[in-house]
Amino acid sequence: MALPPCRVIGAVPDCGCPEVPGLFHPRPGRVIVARIDGIHDMGGMHGFGPVVVPGCDEAYEEQWEARTFAMSTIVGIEGLGKGGGRPIREEMEPEHYLHASYYERWLWSTEQRLLRKGTIAPGEVDAWVERLLAGEPVPQRLDPGQAARDRAAISEESPLGTAEETRFSPGDRVRVRRWRHAGHTRCPRYVRGAEGEVAAVRGSDHLPDIGPYEGPLEPVYSVSFHSDDLFGVSDERRWTVFLDLTETYLEPV
Amino acid sequence: MSHSHSHGHDDVAVRAAALEALLVEKGLISTDAIDAVVDLYENDVGPQNGARVVARAWVDDAYRERLRANGTAAIAELGYGGFEGGTMVVVENTPEIHNVIVCTLCSCYPWPVLGLPPSWYKSSAYRARVVAEPRAVLGEFGLTLDPGVEVRVWDSTAEVRYLVLPLRPPGTESLSEEELASLVTRDSMVGTGVAINPAGVPA
Repeated sequence: MALPPCRVIGAVPDCGCPEVPGLFHPRPGRVIVARIDGIHDMGGMHGFGPVVVPGCDEAYEEQWEARTFAMSTIVGIEGLGKGGGRPIREEMEPEHYLHASYYERWLWSTEQRLLRKGTIAPGEVDAWVERLLAGEPVPQRLDPGQAARDRAAISEESPLGTAEETRFSPGDRVRVRRWRHAGHTRCPRYVRGAEGEVAAVRGSDHLPDIGPYEGPLEPVYSVSFHSDDLFGVSDERRWTVFLDLTETYLEPV
Repeated sequence: MSHSHSHGHDDVAVRAAALEALLVEKGLISTDAIDAVVDLYENDVGPQNGARVVARAWVDDAYRERLRANGTAAIAELGYGGFEGGTMVVVENTPEIHNVIVCTLCSCYPWPVLGLPPSWYKSSAYRARVVAEPRAVLGEFGLTLDPGVEVRVWDSTAEVRYLVLPLRPPGTESLSEEELASLVTRDSMVGTGVAINPAGVPA
């Protein structure tokens, strides 16, 4: 099968973040079209072993994880960070990502968001690590207004907008394009090049790959795929996989 | 957990505490705001919410229709919504179809109705395998489906979150809505399990 050409869909904006060793920096203004996939893109990979293992049923293993989750959420609500936790976690070096526990990744991304906004400066967290190790307690400060505001904000989230003009309709056969930015995408590699069928129009959202989440508004489709078309013949009876895919990811068959 | 840590485990805990100390010292985040968010997901937002949605759908056909037509709005009728639940789609199990949800790229999960995901949902193994060998993964949870059942896997790749509407167990006609809700497990709403059968008889 001839691959469709990569479509240049935009320039990488200035991420504006301070230089941090080991961190991926897109060069401002440069269009990158590459076939690089992050380690987080795990669908269909082999070798990770069993899903059900001892201790796997809890949301947290330790209390610091709950507090890290809360800090990350509050950083977003209060506008203290720059960039999204999800795309930033994908910038982690692959070995670090795989070795880090789930909330260690969240801690890392929260620190990065704060650094990139300039809310905290390089070295400030390290300095507090030293103070804690020397026996100083974590300071406490109460602000009932902030607590109430943050708690209330969590119950507010808008649904996707309505897609006004759609290129595809339910029942249409589509193929997932084989193009890719270096950087954030919500089109997993295991569906690229595969044919599927539009099942529904979910709404309208920003193309995640630019910005991220600063791209143009596009329709988002639910697309169904037969397992044979994704993974080949299996010992298991055929199953169906559904993904929600932005219009740019798709082309007509 | 089976995974190793790149830093010592204690190092990460200390670093988390250091970040909290720094943000409190700067006056940016308060201790009670952190406590409030932790408390919210420990006590108010969890699978008990989704169980009420499912039980309502089991006893009220008109509600089930609204849930099919617009999951977000029907779930909001019971007062649930918010982060990671802006747009909700409810996928309904039938005797012929079994649904299961995943996020292969990260850990997208319907927080307002299920709370925060368990470790296995976020694990590399689940993310990698459930799209590629769903019956083998369901088998690890002790769930063996009839060979004729079609498995549908929903990979949450955009800002849509999924909730599985499990089958109502047989022999539950006389139970109240509240009693029915107590049969609805978290895993039955992810699709890695089924609702508790009070008679202990396979469906």
